[in-house]
Amino acid sequence: MADPLISGPPISSGTLIDYLEQAGRQPDGGVRFVDRSEQTTWYSFAQVRERALGVCAGLRSLGVTRGDRVAVVFPTGIGFFDAFFGTLLAGAVPVPLYPPVRLGRMEEYLGRTTRMLEVTGARLVLADSRVRRILGKAVAAARPALGCRTVEEIRGPEGGAGDSFDEITRPDPSDLGLVQFSSGTTVDPKPVALSHRALVAQTEIIKSFWRDEPGFRHSGVSWLPLYHDMGLIGCVLPSLARDSALTLIGPEVFVARPAIWLRSLSRWKASVSPAPNFAYSLCLNRVSDADMAGVDLSGWRHALTGAEAVAPSVARAFCDRFARWGFRPEALAPVYGLSEAALAVTFSDLSDPFHSVQVDREDLARDGVARETDDGREIVSVGRPVPGFRLEIRDRDGQILPPDRVGRLWIEGPSLMDGYLGAPEATACALRDGWLDTGDLGFLHGGELYLTGRAKDVVILRGRNYAPDEIERAVEGLPGVRAGCVAAASWLPENADGERLVLFVEAARHATPLQAQALPAACRRAVLAGAGLDADEVVVLAPGTLPRTSSGKLRRQETLRLWLAGELVPPAPVTPLRLAGTMARSGLAYARLRWSRNG
Amino acid sequence: MSDAIILEGIALVAQEHLGWEGPVTSEMRLVEDLRLDSVRLLTLAAQVENRFRVFLDEADELAIETVGDLVAIVRRKLGG
Repeated sequence: MADPLISGPPISSGTLIDYLEQAGRQPDGGVRFVDRSEQTTWYSFAQVRERALGVCAGLRSLGVTRGDRVAVVFPTGIGFFDAFFGTLLAGAVPVPLYPPVRLGRMEEYLGRTTRMLEVTGARLVLADSRVRRILGKAVAAARPALGCRTVEEIRGPEGGAGDSFDEITRPDPSDLGLVQFSSGTTVDPKPVALSHRALVAQTEIIKSFWRDEPGFRHSGVSWLPLYHDMGLIGCVLPSLARDSALTLIGPEVFVARPAIWLRSLSRWKASVSPAPNFAYSLCLNRVSDADMAGVDLSGWRHALTGAEAVAPSVARAFCDRFARWGFRPEALAPVYGLSEAALAVTFSDLSDPFHSVQVDREDLARDGVARETDDGREIVSVGRPVPGFRLEIRDRDGQILPPDRVGRLWIEGPSLMDGYLGAPEATACALRDGWLDTGDLGFLHGGELYLTGRAKDVVILRGRNYAPDEIERAVEGLPGVRAGCVAAASWLPENADGERLVLFVEAARHATPLQAQALPAACRRAVLAGAGLDADEVVVLAPGTLPRTSSGKLRRQETLRLWLAGELVPPAPVTPLRLAGTMARSGLAYARLRWSRNG
Repeated sequence: MSDAIILEGIALVAQEHLGWEGPVTSEMRLVEDLRLDSVRLLTLAAQVENRFRVFLDEADELAIETVGDLVAIVRRKLGG
């Protein structure tokens, strides 16, 4: 077998329908759902296909036609598979949206869902009966032409005689196969439109990394949400294409009892499971030795860590702690990808332990040069481009930078999105001459990619992307906050176990120092209530401190950069809030102190 | 089970699993006062279920804003 790292781009002539049609021949091909009591339910891919054909027949008689967008809103379970594959078989395009979170913030959830239904032009919403009860308001506002239905209604009373593969309309590889959101937002949603060709290309890429051996079949475990690219494209599609077993745990089950993830890996002898850094950290904090009784992690060959910045301290601590239960350090493999590329862009070497470089902090911050030094900032390698992908680090003028120079990461490969659905301008900004601007910053070193930060405005926490405007909006209108003068950003501090959320807030001109002092607590509460996130820092600034573009747009990443450098200062002349600059700096000192304690 | 005992159980969950150090009263709002982000809300729901051996469903959870709301739902689930 050729080395996947030097072979050419995978063949990608088919569609997702071909995978579904061909699956179900292996006795171990299928999905298993693990509930909170660790009871399991198994569906072979043949059953998944039969159920989906039933849904397809119902969808077609309802009037769903080729190219229609169908929103799919389900918790992890067979209902998601029914809806997702039924939609595909009907020639339509599934748009997975996330189901409501437990205990609250329903207004915000409904508002966001309404907006996502609107921008994707969904003709129909498929949901389970519990979710449907909750979705009423969003559906009433977005008014999808065919309403909101459950899979049971669609399939008909007796389970319904399904379509056969002879009857279905086969999509062209260039047809849309999936619309996924890179981040949920009401302000400026960006639905990423992926063709069947891109999805198949990405699936083949991922497949190429775990090849079965005589007497050994790879299988997976995932607790990742199915509306998340790493859960759906990273786990479900390759399992279907390989016709192998995939064990799925609901994200809410994992968060409540993280040990279920590790125990399922052991119980079902799974070899592959990806998760964001946050999951590894949660296991360190919330899995007890008693939870691990009888668990054997030696069969876990590929513990991929991606979807957010990889904290080296967490990766090391996880390897150390779980070695006792057979976890192999070479299993932990940092990877990098993004929704706009369907998923994976780089993989680190799957047979070696992860590695990192230490680079001089000052050279990196001031000149964008990665110079290796002892005791510098540690940055984890996310590896080399996956087959068929090329990377370029470019400067602001689009010139290609040499190795060890920090610039913007551009990528080219067989699974890039067609564009953002219904947003030609945003698409034109992201895609140029077949290359995608990832908005991520990094450098190449020894042929491997190292990420240093972001140029794009996105907050990434616990593997999930948030639009900063969503967070900023939560504090707009608070007494003492200057209108339109709030910036949210996240970054991975050295020695921290994950990214931290920081909120920069300009105090209103009339605000007294006392009011300004009360702002951090008020802002934290508002962000919790409005966005469900706990801000790690709230930095109160004098009016006019936030850097802006010439057209007046907030420069969030520049704000973060200045703050981290201790250079975020109010403009002259000094306002009554002249303490604010000092407050910002002391905030920095405090932050540094706090993160260094974590180390 | 009385409301006071349920409240005490919820307070213990908050201390053991959510890192909450202060007192817990029924007037407190989960998000604003107990400062629960979405991951902690999930943890709270799951741990309350474990502790009291009840299953909350979405319809119940929609109405929960304060600790007192949660106490009332748990009491109802326990048949009290």
